[in-house]
Amino acid sequence: MAESTFRLRVKYQKAGRLRHLSHLEVVHSCGRAARRAGLPYAVTQGFSPHMKVAFGPALPVGTAGLGEYLDLWLSSYVPSGEAFEALKAASAPGLAPVQVKYVAEREPSLGAALTIAKYEVVMEGGEVLAEGLTSSFAAIIAEGVLAVDHKGKPKVFELASALPKEPDVCTIKERTTVGLAVRIGERGSLRPEALVKAALTRGALDGRIMSVTRTELLVEQDGSWRDPL
Amino acid sequence: MSELWSRIEPLLTGIERPVRYINSEWGSSHADEPYKVALVYPDVYEIGMANQAIQILYERFNVLQGVSAERVFVPWKDMADAMRSAGVPLFTLESCRPVSECDLLGITLPYELTYQNILEALDLAGLALRSKDRTDADPIVIGGGPCAFNPEPVAPFLDAILIGDGEDAVADIVAAHRASIAAGDSRSATLAALALVPGVYVPSLYEPQIEGGEFKGMTALPGAPTVVRKRVLPDLDDYRSPACPVVPFMDVVHDRVGVEVLRGCARGCRFCQAGMVYRPVRERTPDSIVRDAISALSCTGYEEVSLTSLSTADHSGIEEVLRRLTRRLDGTGVTVSLPSLRVDAFNVQVARLLGGGKKTGLTFAPEAGTQRLRDVINKNVTEEDLLRTVNQAFSAGWRRVKLYFMIGLPTETDEDIVGIGELVSRVFLAAREVTPPAERGGMKVAVSVSTFVPKAHTPFQWEAQIPFEEVRRRQSLLRSSMQHKGIDLSWHDSQVSFLEGVLSRGGREVADVIEAAWRGGARFDAWTEEFKPSRWSLAFEAVGIDPTSIANRQRRVDEALPWDHISVGVTRAYLRIERDNALAEKTTPDCTFDGCTGCGVCGSSLVANVLAGERRG
Ligand code: SF4
Repeated sequence: MAESTFRLRVKYQKAGRLRHLSHLEVVHSCGRAARRAGLPYAVTQGFSPHMKVAFGPALPVGTAGLGEYLDLWLSSYVPSGEAFEALKAASAPGLAPVQVKYVAEREPSLGAALTIAKYEVVMEGGEVLAEGLTSSFAAIIAEGVLAVDHKGKPKVFELASALPKEPDVCTIKERTTVGLAVRIGERGSLRPEALVKAALTRGALDGRIMSVTRTELLVEQDGSWRDPL
Repeated sequence: MSELWSRIEPLLTGIERPVRYINSEWGSSHADEPYKVALVYPDVYEIGMANQAIQILYERFNVLQGVSAERVFVPWKDMADAMRSAGVPLFTLESCRPVSECDLLGITLPYELTYQNILEALDLAGLALRSKDRTDADPIVIGGGPCAFNPEPVAPFLDAILIGDGEDAVADIVAAHRASIAAGDSRSATLAALALVPGVYVPSLYEPQIEGGEFKGMTALPGAPTVVRKRVLPDLDDYRSPACPVVPFMDVVHDRVGVEVLRGCARGCRFCQAGMVYRPVRERTPDSIVRDAISALSCTGYEEVSLTSLSTADHSGIEEVLRRLTRRLDGTGVTVSLPSLRVDAFNVQVARLLGGGKKTGLTFAPEAGTQRLRDVINKNVTEEDLLRTVNQAFSAGWRRVKLYFMIGLPTETDEDIVGIGELVSRVFLAAREVTPPAERGGMKVAVSVSTFVPKAHTPFQWEAQIPFEEVRRRQSLLRSSMQHKGIDLSWHDSQVSFLEGVLSRGGREVADVIEAAWRGGARFDAWTEEFKPSRWSLAFEAVGIDPTSIANRQRRVDEALPWDHISVGVTRAYLRIERDNALAEKTTPDCTFDGCTGCGVCGSSLVANVLAGERRG
């Protein structure tokens, strides 16, 4: 990329009705928001020039994200507060910036840096479900591997790596929330719904998933997790 | 008012593309005014949102004092089924209001094969399918759009139909309706008032006269005009192009800003309905085109602007517009596109001005294989023009060209069919000659062949569409005359063309067939994989109508036609002269280059061609 570009990291949310967007729709919409914001975005050289922008890991249709990331390269410096306000004013509330910050060009790409994803899965069901899930998770983890169906083929995850933290289960009224963290590896990551469904099947439990939200995306550094901003 | 979102949302997890139903798009309007309009498009979101008229009408209605307009698309089958079983009625996107709670339903009539989706929409909305069965409590259902020029097949479903341009008419329609509401008018009094709005056709005020099984014309009931004349916007620059159209999240067909640069086309192709019904030609000035394109781009954030019309390259200021736009957009990655190009050298220059080196395919429509037949249809393109253009395009680096032809045109002989094959071969060789040998592998000449469908208000409105067996025979003749490798031949489904022919020239009796087909499960017939000819055959049989008597019958030129009470301004006498010219293989020039040829539009509607400058032929 040309010498004098500025790499603006944007933390954004995909929430409410807009959680039904696909990754491609998010990519197009964020590009349009950046153009509407009037930011001096950098354009790639070459055959069909386009906005220079890079996205973090994709979210599936229906899954919300509270802290998603994109890097947008600007051809001239705009104070980050100003850039944030401009982007916000040009965005629909469900797909909007949360925070922005310039990052150094030498920092690894979002794709390479973001290796931990935290999720919250909200389910219909109370204490009985919560207890059942807790023991099913423990049993699955004790086995060390989990095979999930991926487009008709089994995909096997080594849980020591794929699931770096034991899921939390908590119940308020008749809603049970499962909090979990997964590692995003080169071959993808364990989908939270897949893990929850495996636990339901194992414990012969009743519970309907009401929503799935990716709450955070994190960078692993020297054994601890940190925010990418 | 009832907000349906909480009942809609749970349905979204089990269906395809929930993004079709979630609204929240940039540019959508959430005003809540006393008079509510639902703009209904009879197909799914991604098709409807590509329609520029929807964006124009959305803006025109929403600027009216006390009026809010919302969009409605027909839910795809999975969602419609889920809605029916959950008891959720058809809803407006913006406020999730039941469509039946609106005051006015404006339904677009974009294409004949969407007619059964009008019934799907009315049924999902919980409204009676037929105008005569709706009550004072129901909204007024008004249609309009490209298919309104022969409205009879859908007339019984609609309370009123706007013929022609909508920009000015929407305010008049709303004013007439609101006055009726204020006066406490009955439904029939409201419809009578609407019939007095210029361009508005109220089908219930017209009765078909049938004698001895033959249609003898329409009789207007007292108070209704004998002939309904289309509305014409005299000058496109009376309104700006929508300054901030709605930006879909979903990847829609034509995902870009469209700026209409001109309306109407006077080239006079004799098979073309659009060319007859949208006269006269009205160009916007380069200043307003550039201004509207730039402001819509900055408001929407789109990465492409398309300069739309029936024949954009005809605009007298097109080169100026392209130069100014490409200069303004330089370095932004935003591109300009034109929807279709005509065959002549000028267009290669135009194409060069576009998209900085992006060499997407070029499309040309010679339509017929011999000069004789091109003279019959008044397609003023010579083989020399075509070969020269292809030569220049391929010399300039283009590697793909797509050619459109029709079979079944009036007077067509086997020689004309073989002529298509020969013309394509010469195009192929002309392209190959100037393509470096190493790049010849990437060359592609695509040929798309459709069956001619005679349309209302054209010089060919009296002609018979060729029957199936003949379509098949001509197709196989064409296939055997198309010998080169590297030529990619595709057909338009002849069953679709047949149905299109029946629905486009049928009378009011065809409405029963449309209803029977919908009851038999016909939805989304405009989608190739959803079209089931058998459903329609059963429907024709059940109603007792022989579709070939509509599609494949030669009409007498003095015969009463189901659309005679609808005037597009072009006179019947002119159409007959043009028909005679066609049979005599005589061409008629374009009135924007060579002076008036007397079609009648300008006199009858007190309008004229509006050109932004001198046109180049
Ligand atoms: S009346 Fe004459 S000038 Fe006007 S559109 Fe017809 S042919 Fe052209």
